[in-house]
Amino acid sequence: MRTKAVLLSLAALLFVGLFAVGEAENVAVINGYPVITSDPATASDWYDTEAMYNLYSPLVYPSPEGGVRPHLATSWEAVGGDYTHWRFTLRQGVKFHSGYELTAEDVAFSMTRFITMARGNSGPLGQVTAVVVDRYTVDFLLDKPSAIFPDTLALFFPVEKNLVLANIKTPGNYGEYGDYGEDWLATHDAGTGPYMMTSHIPGQRLDAVRFIDYFEGWSDEGWGEDEVPIERLIFIMETDYTTLMTLMRSGTLDLEINGGWTLPQLEQIEADPNLGLASVWAQNVTVWMNTKLSPTDDEHFRKAILYAFDYEGIVGPWEAFGNGETGILLPNMPGYVPIEPQPRAQNLERARQELALSKYADNLSDVKVLFHFCGGLDFEEDVGLQLQADMAQLGVTVEVAGPPWPEYSAECSSPESTPNMTIFLFAPQAAPTHDYYTYSMFAPGGLGWIFEAHWYFDDPEIIQLLDATRAEPDPAARLALYEEVQPLIADHALAFYPYEKPTLFAHQAYIVGPSETIVFVGPSENMHMWRINLELKEALRGG
Amino acid sequence: MLTFIGKRLFQSLFVLFGLSLLIFFIARVMPGDPARAALGFLATENQVEQLREEMHLNDPFPVQYYYWLRNLLHGDLGRSSYTHRPVTMDLVQYIPATFELILFATLISAVVGQVTGVLAGFFRNSWFDGLSRLVSYLGIATPSFVVAIFLLFIFSQVLKLAPGVGRLPIMMTPPPTITGFMTLDSLLAGRPDLALTALKHMVLPAISLAVIHIAQEGRITRTSIVENMQKDYITVHKVHGIRTPRLLFKYLLKPSIIPTVTVMGLDFAFLMSNAFLVEIVYMWPGFSRYAVTAMLNKDLNAIVAVVLVIGLTFAMVNLLVDIIIMGLDPTVRLRRGGG
Repeated sequence: MRTKAVLLSLAALLFVGLFAVGEAENVAVINGYPVITSDPATASDWYDTEAMYNLYSPLVYPSPEGGVRPHLATSWEAVGGDYTHWRFTLRQGVKFHSGYELTAEDVAFSMTRFITMARGNSGPLGQVTAVVVDRYTVDFLLDKPSAIFPDTLALFFPVEKNLVLANIKTPGNYGEYGDYGEDWLATHDAGTGPYMMTSHIPGQRLDAVRFIDYFEGWSDEGWGEDEVPIERLIFIMETDYTTLMTLMRSGTLDLEINGGWTLPQLEQIEADPNLGLASVWAQNVTVWMNTKLSPTDDEHFRKAILYAFDYEGIVGPWEAFGNGETGILLPNMPGYVPIEPQPRAQNLERARQELALSKYADNLSDVKVLFHFCGGLDFEEDVGLQLQADMAQLGVTVEVAGPPWPEYSAECSSPESTPNMTIFLFAPQAAPTHDYYTYSMFAPGGLGWIFEAHWYFDDPEIIQLLDATRAEPDPAARLALYEEVQPLIADHALAFYPYEKPTLFAHQAYIVGPSETIVFVGPSENMHMWRINLELKEALRGG
Repeated sequence: MLTFIGKRLFQSLFVLFGLSLLIFFIARVMPGDPARAALGFLATENQVEQLREEMHLNDPFPVQYYYWLRNLLHGDLGRSSYTHRPVTMDLVQYIPATFELILFATLISAVVGQVTGVLAGFFRNSWFDGLSRLVSYLGIATPSFVVAIFLLFIFSQVLKLAPGVGRLPIMMTPPPTITGFMTLDSLLAGRPDLALTALKHMVLPAISLAVIHIAQEGRITRTSIVENMQKDYITVHKVHGIRTPRLLFKYLLKPSIIPTVTVMGLDFAFLMSNAFLVEIVYMWPGFSRYAVTAMLNKDLNAIVAVVLVIGLTFAMVNLLVDIIIMGLDPTVRLRRGGG
């Protein structure tokens, strides 16, 4: 009798135990850098952009081929022949998270707000006037011609006009529009994106849930049988990778999209069968050479630096994780042209030849090159120290220093204050990406500051070609222009590119994606392009 | 007593004014462009210049300070160029998280430090004294963030005895914010389970912060106990046959903890500004991290505000320490006319 009771109890416990294991929760905890504002008019850093692509939809969407494709706008055309007047036709039936339909009124209001507030990513657009043509058509009138205007709208995310107007604070900086809803939108969303914000503590955490009525739908085509849309997103914003590694291995963190892992951490992740790495976009490690400061004002001296640098030495163990050759464009961008030195290796003999041709050939021992990096970034310092060792073989002194970011970035405000060499990491964060890496970095009307710390605008042929890229409406012909201009720029040795640095997204094995690899910060971090395998999660984590 | 407190508060106002003046000018001469930092990488020069005008950055320093002081008197500390929110809103969000943590850390360091110090002093040159000395030196020599990483790895990842990071588990919805203290807000929301979870989350970061202070306070208490044990009145009490517990608690402890209380006060204020590495390791959304982020991003309004808060904390804690010492030491009470 007693044995029977014990057996029955055990059976009951087993029964309860079996059914007590709940289904794996359909949620993804994602770490990125701090999302400070979720207002599309003020969002500027790439981390903000990652949030934008989840909460909002841009008018046009970046494509893997490098251009843009229809999204909220189904088509567009230049009216007249001078590219100052663009007409966009909107998709019908697109719903905001509130349930209201997106119309030309919302798009025109959002553009006016974007331009008036003059913050965030509005700079590259110039002055734009928006005019409603009809419910689904909107015109944009530009202050100067731009054949690439549609591409620049990949960072334009329309907001719901009435919702924003209902939440403006007065008085504010914008007259009758008060604060233009800036305070409210920093912690709320008024978008059409695949996820709806449920809460946002700036710089700490952003919670969102799936928007069932998202206009692109949630088709299972192309996905595995057990791969379902992620229902809930929790963005956390942490920077300590020791802690993040702990979270990753314990299964608390599902996806990390900032990619600041150290080499040993990457090796651990790669060796762990429950974890994976995804590479979407890379960053271009760029070392500008100030052409207005001695001795980097001499082209041969700059070329000597190009050939003296030990590219293989600096990449070393990182090669296994995708670090490798790069140039003016990133190698995975259409139209990439390899630049000198080719093959990608140190060539001290050639460096000596170039040095002998420079005006500093006779007094090399008096020459000093100042190399500055952003204080705290070890990989940048490594490049400086590598160069220091390489140039020492040629009898040239390189001084390496790492002032803190505010000081470092302020140095680059003029040719006089910029050191001989400055190193930056440029992620593809401005649309269109080809323009960002070419016109914005080498034309007199480019982004200036840290983006053009070479200060060289003296070659009329380059300027003419760069202007032509912005005037060329045909994407294929424009791509040919980008291909043509790269060797010309490279010939002046304005920068050297130690390597490209992939941003590796670490993820749990049950997180699958992205469905498309788009070389641009944000679009592939749209969680509509990712799925979760709940069966696998349950098997690995037990619910 | 009230006169004394009033006088000290009045003095504190002058200290804070001087501090604000100093930090206001230091923040502005630091290299870097706050307008550029606020607008991000893709802003045009025109946009940057427009914001400089809006922030009065092109005006002379005294004019900038006038605007800042005028707004301060209206309760406006300005807008953070990093978070794009009013600085007061940021402070309300971040201060309670750190305050709650360092209160807990101070409690741990006070209890453990004092008990260790008293026992080590009372049983001078015993094995316990030797062991506590060794552990103290180790505690003083080990930076808090190293302790933090070690504790996180051992107790959270390997042994799974304590929760890892944050104020609550990531999946858990926090209670409505009333005081900003997670434990208190949970209780006010009728969720003792949540309060207990929040308390568990505080254990490892609080111990990480407390270790160095346990060591310091333990050593100071020990020295003080040893010193007081050699005083004549203790010898007299011993001769009169007063039992050890009574001797310890009634006659020895009170005068011996006075130096420790002073140090504890300073430690508390010190933690307010120096907890950032532990806050980073434990993903603690606190004031100390906010302060460092403000510095790194040249967030002028936030920098001045955090320095003022730290200054205010030092002033208030010192006042509190003085009041406690007046309670503990009658000679101080008499000297300051506290009655």
